[in-house]
Amino acid sequence: MVSNSMEMTAKEVKAVGPWKEAWRSFKKSKAALVGAAIVLFFVFLAVFGPLFVPQGINDQNLSVRLLPPSSEYWFGTDDFGRDIFSRIVHGARISLAVGFLSVILSAVVGSFLGMIAGYYGRWIDTIISRIFDIMLAFPSILLAIAIVSILGPSLQNALIAIAIINIPNFGRLIRSKVLSVKEEEYIVAARAIGMKDARILFRHVLPNSLSPVIVQGTLAIATAIIEAAALSFLGLGATAPQPEWGKMLSDARIHIMTAPWTILFPGIAIMLTVLGFNLMGDGLRDALDPKMKN
Amino acid sequence: MKKNKLWSLGLFLLLMLSVVLAACSGGDEEGSETTEKTDEPATETATKEAVPQVLVFGRGGDSVSLDPAIVTDGESFKVTENIFETLLNFGEQDTTINPGLAKEWEVSEDGLTYTFHLQEGVKFHDGTDFNAEAVVKNVDRWKAGTEEQFYYFNSMFKAEGQDIIKTVTAVDEKTVVFELTRPQAPFLKNIAMSPFGIASPTAFEAAGDKFGDNPVGTGPFVFVEWKRNDSITVKKNENYWQAGLPKLDTIIFRAIPDNSTRLNALMTGEIDLAEGINPSDATSIEGNAELQLIERPSMNVGYLGLTSTRKPFDNKLVRQAVNYAIDKQAIVDAFFEGRAEVAVNPMPPSISGYNDEIAGYEYNPEKAKELLAEAGYDGAEIELWAMPVPRPYMPDGQKVAEAIQKNLADVGIPSKIVTFEWATYLEKAKNGEADAFLLGWTGDNGDADNFIYTLLDKDNIGSNNYSYYSSDAAHELLIAAQSEVDEEKRNQLYKDAQVIIHEDAPWVPLAHSIPLLAAKKGVTDYLPHPTGSESLVNVSMQ
Repeated sequence: MVSNSMEMTAKEVKAVGPWKEAWRSFKKSKAALVGAAIVLFFVFLAVFGPLFVPQGINDQNLSVRLLPPSSEYWFGTDDFGRDIFSRIVHGARISLAVGFLSVILSAVVGSFLGMIAGYYGRWIDTIISRIFDIMLAFPSILLAIAIVSILGPSLQNALIAIAIINIPNFGRLIRSKVLSVKEEEYIVAARAIGMKDARILFRHVLPNSLSPVIVQGTLAIATAIIEAAALSFLGLGATAPQPEWGKMLSDARIHIMTAPWTILFPGIAIMLTVLGFNLMGDGLRDALDPKMKN
Repeated sequence: MKKNKLWSLGLFLLLMLSVVLAACSGGDEEGSETTEKTDEPATETATKEAVPQVLVFGRGGDSVSLDPAIVTDGESFKVTENIFETLLNFGEQDTTINPGLAKEWEVSEDGLTYTFHLQEGVKFHDGTDFNAEAVVKNVDRWKAGTEEQFYYFNSMFKAEGQDIIKTVTAVDEKTVVFELTRPQAPFLKNIAMSPFGIASPTAFEAAGDKFGDNPVGTGPFVFVEWKRNDSITVKKNENYWQAGLPKLDTIIFRAIPDNSTRLNALMTGEIDLAEGINPSDATSIEGNAELQLIERPSMNVGYLGLTSTRKPFDNKLVRQAVNYAIDKQAIVDAFFEGRAEVAVNPMPPSISGYNDEIAGYEYNPEKAKELLAEAGYDGAEIELWAMPVPRPYMPDGQKVAEAIQKNLADVGIPSKIVTFEWATYLEKAKNGEADAFLLGWTGDNGDADNFIYTLLDKDNIGSNNYSYYSSDAAHELLIAAQSEVDEEKRNQLYKDAQVIIHEDAPWVPLAHSIPLLAAKKGVTDYLPHPTGSESLVNVSMQ
């Protein structure tokens, strides 16, 4: 609270907005910039890549199976004679979509629950917080496997499972933020003039509690991509013939000795994307968290 | 937050490594067994020869029970073949009839009376004498049981609830006579099947349901111990009736489910013989001076069943269209690595009665589309079931399914690949819940009846006829063939039945594969049998 008001005065003096200042701080970190570049690259790949890939993702040609990388097949071919490069480019779309969508889903639901719990307190808080505690008591991947087993294996259900397991992370984050925000003078003032709870929550409390969600969201995308790949690897996510990276890894497992490129490229793709989001997330946290400022 | 992220990252790596780790942990256990194995016999055999006569046999699954009469799975027979013996034996690598516990036999003119003259001086492992009375007690035990208890006896020697074996009598100590109610052409072959191993009457009368935990037969090896889901150990029968046999002192049957893990275990020397070799690993084994690649003679069929009671496969034209749509040759080349023959009929060509005049459906997507249009197929999505485990008749069901999925998509049939845990898969397919499913069959006795009647007759719906195919015309031919003793006429009946089945297309027959095994160079005289289970009485380690 103190730091907040100090921040305000500092900004007035320099006449720099909080976002601009965050960007300035973000820019300072090389690692964060590299991360952002990687993320942008993959986003670009996911959006436009499939338009330019040399081969159809599902064009089986069993006479060219397991070919090593060449000028025709940049990343080689898998055991169905499909072009691995094309599949990886398409896979970016799947992985990023799962990452973004599941995080948006869990952020929306988690923030809403967390906000209610933090703002109203008492028994509502007790119920919601205990539910979060219960969910966090499970190893997240185990919970995801359980959820997918109930819903049936598919990419969509994997997405839902990942969204569900991430809800408590967002919920707890927002709750603690709301607990401090709701004591602020402007909230007390709004309540004093008789403003409705809904308006206070969405117009005042929420916008002032969001910045940690952005940081958590970026980092959670990385986790979500890995979790989606893990579920697909276990046969609980993407189904054939979807070119999901985790599934590609699992399919190529038996060829690790004879055709290592089939497992190498999907692995690199997963690693790079996750690395990108993590670096970017760390940079964002440094930039957005006032406590990290020097 | 950060902690959570790192933790998930670690978990993912852990998942990735779990395959490798699984192999390692298996290896550790194995390591202790290997030391056990080399220590123990070293003292025993020190005087005889340097190489310990211990064989560790690596296979894909554990046995269900060691009472051969009550089981149906190959993993059980693989062990019981060595503990029990049958009245007649198959040839070493074929299904010709050879003497077993019976040294001679006669068949009456009308094919209703079989007289067996038994070997002299044979004793069960528990000291009970093997004689005609023991045979009678075994058959009486099988006859008294229900289909639930003794599946194979019921499927081989009962038809429409009626016993084919009317009576079994002990004429004297060493002569036993079987009286049949109707002639059965493959009777001798049936009697030679692993489920009909003769068990010690003293033991099974005392043990009751628990006989499978402590099996007692006359075979070359005596049961020692069974660690469930890990290993079964048998040791040499010192009083075996054939002089000089068996050559091995101990056999350890180890269950290692994953094909790659099992091959790794062979390469590191933890096991001596590995079943279920991926065709893709064959070349590297052939190039390894320490190992030998062994081919099991093929007597199986891998197929895509089309459940004829479910839409859209209740329409013959759709079933034929699927037959045209699938590029079998490409699948055989890619996922059997060419170690298979493209299938045309529901049984392999080596079996007499095979109809080689049927050409088979060629790969013709255009023709398939025409047939689908004619059938009025609406483009509804089907479920394509893929088996979760490698089978001898199909090394990688998931991959085959994915190739078929593409073939079907090309002609406009959208499909979703579905899989279940193996037992559930079989149960659900048996209940007719699958649209199209991958499955296969390894022959038990090399007879056409054991393929066509068992897998496609309407009598076996709810049993081995997973595709729910029901044809009265075929049924008549198949029933007639069962009691036809004239070989020529009998073969013709099967050939006619295959024509009907080809036209009705209840399956897409895919391949007759050559199951692969690998062994250390020192494993000598191991002859894999086409039925999938063999006696290891002649095997030795050099």
